[in-house]
Amino acid sequence: MDRREALRILATGAALQLAPGNLLAALREARALAGAQAAPRALNPHQYDTVKAMAEMILPRTDTPGATDIGAAGFIDVILSAWCDERERTGFLNGLADVDGRSQTLFARNFVECSAVQQSEILTALGEKMEQEGRVHDQGHSPESPPEPERGFYPMLRQLTLTAYYTSEAGATEELNFQIIPDRHEGCVQIRSGKQGQESQ
Amino acid sequence: MKEETTYDAIVIGSGMTGGWAAKELTEKGMKTLVLEAGRPIVPEQDYVEHVPAWEMKYRGLGDRGRQLVDQPIQRLCYACDEWSAKFFVSDTEHPYTQEAGKPFRWIRGRQVGGRSIMWGRQSYRWSDLDFEANLRDGIAVDWPIRYADLAPWYDRVEDFVGISGEALGLPQLPDSRFLPPMELNCAEKVVREAMATHFAGERVLTIGRCAILTRDHNGRAACHYCGPCERGCITRSYFSSVNATLPAAEKTGRMTLRPYSVVHSVGFDAQTRRATSVRVIDGKTRATLEFRARIIFLCASALESVRILFNSSTPEFPNGLGNSSGELGHNLMDHIKAGGADGTIPGNEDRIELGRRPNGIYVPRFRNVKTRQAGFLRGYGFQGGGSRDGWERGITQTGFGPGFKNSIRQPGPWKFTFYGFGECLPNHNNFVELDKEKVDAWGIPVLKIHCAWSENELALRKDMSISAAEMLAAAGARNIEPFTDDASPGLAIHEMGTARMGRDPKTSVLNAYNQLHEAKNLFISDGGAMTSSSCVNPSLTYMALTARACDHAVAEMKRGNL
Repeated sequence: MDRREALRILATGAALQLAPGNLLAALREARALAGAQAAPRALNPHQYDTVKAMAEMILPRTDTPGATDIGAAGFIDVILSAWCDERERTGFLNGLADVDGRSQTLFARNFVECSAVQQSEILTALGEKMEQEGRVHDQGHSPESPPEPERGFYPMLRQLTLTAYYTSEAGATEELNFQIIPDRHEGCVQIRSGKQGQESQ
Repeated sequence: MKEETTYDAIVIGSGMTGGWAAKELTEKGMKTLVLEAGRPIVPEQDYVEHVPAWEMKYRGLGDRGRQLVDQPIQRLCYACDEWSAKFFVSDTEHPYTQEAGKPFRWIRGRQVGGRSIMWGRQSYRWSDLDFEANLRDGIAVDWPIRYADLAPWYDRVEDFVGISGEALGLPQLPDSRFLPPMELNCAEKVVREAMATHFAGERVLTIGRCAILTRDHNGRAACHYCGPCERGCITRSYFSSVNATLPAAEKTGRMTLRPYSVVHSVGFDAQTRRATSVRVIDGKTRATLEFRARIIFLCASALESVRILFNSSTPEFPNGLGNSSGELGHNLMDHIKAGGADGTIPGNEDRIELGRRPNGIYVPRFRNVKTRQAGFLRGYGFQGGGSRDGWERGITQTGFGPGFKNSIRQPGPWKFTFYGFGECLPNHNNFVELDKEKVDAWGIPVLKIHCAWSENELALRKDMSISAAEMLAAAGARNIEPFTDDASPGLAIHEMGTARMGRDPKTSVLNAYNQLHEAKNLFISDGGAMTSSSCVNPSLTYMALTARACDHAVAEMKRGNL
């Protein structure tokens, strides 16, 4: 077994079969948490469908999987129920209700029932509002401020949707060509293909 | 079988310096007990650097609800993330108190390996600019040693650890015995060239000098560039006590490593003037134990080692063992950070960096080196570096749909950050004492910390933002944003100085060989020993001081003096 092969096995977890049981149990638990979701806890079925539709609008399926394929709404539900505090959760749910408020005013139906063109119009309007309200908060460099959710519904939805997608297995490996073990470092090389462009992320 | 209670040497702490004391003492034939307050670490189980984000419940955002309750201070460290939070203490089990209005962020790891598991790995030698600084400025006390005293011990430590970096021949930042340097990326090369042109050798950009192997070394494998060293390293490519010194000590057959051993205090014999024993509370059973040895090394960290001495008071030493000088616990220093600047470096849009290099750039100190700077004493160095923006930039954009998704697939602009670390002056008024009102989870009185930045440190931080912006401007950067952000003392995680070395027992705690003036067989070789703070990362110097002190301890013992 050469070095590259050894590293590949470490990366894929194949070597874990040799590892003690408690690690395997922990990994299994982590996979279960990250995989099939239990029933949503923070979002009711309608809210869940609205989040799912909005996330898919932001990052749709193309030649690679989209937000729905990787379960973005399920991750957002986990964050809302187990990570956010009550104020953040309420703010998000109010923002979600406002999305239906906008679509009712403009098109006399809920967001999920709108056409793709109508949904795009609403996302464009939310984007304009986000820009008007100024740059969503900047974490800056201060070590005194650990990760916080973005302020405002739409920035928060975007933060959670992009996080869900680009940290998913498909988003990281298929979309961004992320490799757990690059086994090399080159500081400044010509991009050979579109996908390679993200290897360092 | 009854547990052995008598050893040649006892080392308290198993981290950066405890590991070195264990290695050096056992290799010199000492039967050595290493006491570690925390749990054992088994790399195959505990290291998680290859667990991808998609296997984590919060995908790297961290278990915020739990941390707000149990790690409200630890979570301020970047490395205390969803993967590595387990390597940081529970703030509820390990409390400390602070003077109102003077926050000090005490970041701690209690396990075999201590903080050497999550450390930043940056490794720099000190120079006589540092060792002579207090004497030159008339501040605090003079170091009892000079660079020449420590140089052979830097050599010894570096040959074992493996430090990658570039030799520059600068007097203010002596070269180590380097492994090949890691490569600068595109943006860093642009900035380096511009600095060479505009600052005529006064300000130099080099690759960070780090304790990460760029080729196989002493049975440990070269780095595979997975990125997050602070989660452990199954190939042992970065230095930690778990990865290197403790296995070396184990190999001698003379080390007994005892986890879950919370040291309460050190026993002292007033007749022989020697430390005689170490009193331990078993972390699991809460039983009280006592171990004896001829040599005792305190390597528990600048603050924990002092806390042990405070808890070791005797009628003769009512304010802490070996504290006739009144300096024990005083002169607490950290490095001031969070001054610098960011910018965008145009060009190289068709180029990228491959692999995740766990290292950045370094700009050695240039203030108060050749010419005297108005406005402040001492100086600072810059860390930081360049990278192309990743997917996170899409959060604050307004686009959506296939076009947006394709644009985020491409790397963003080259960004560059200079992030300063400045020297902190020793100040008697920055100190710790025992808080007799409060105890930790093992019933041991905790520390109360009194620490704040002085005008000199704040002036350094301001100057960092100005000089960083100048260098970015010279490199043709766009959107240059200087910053001076809030970062309380403690957050550089370089706390030191609380048991300083010196020549005079009236004004210092330790002598030139890290021995307590008042208990010659008791050594402190962690950050507590530092008489001044330099502006460079301190671990390499702690390791060299430890190796030197161990050599002296064993020689003195063989001469019959200990």
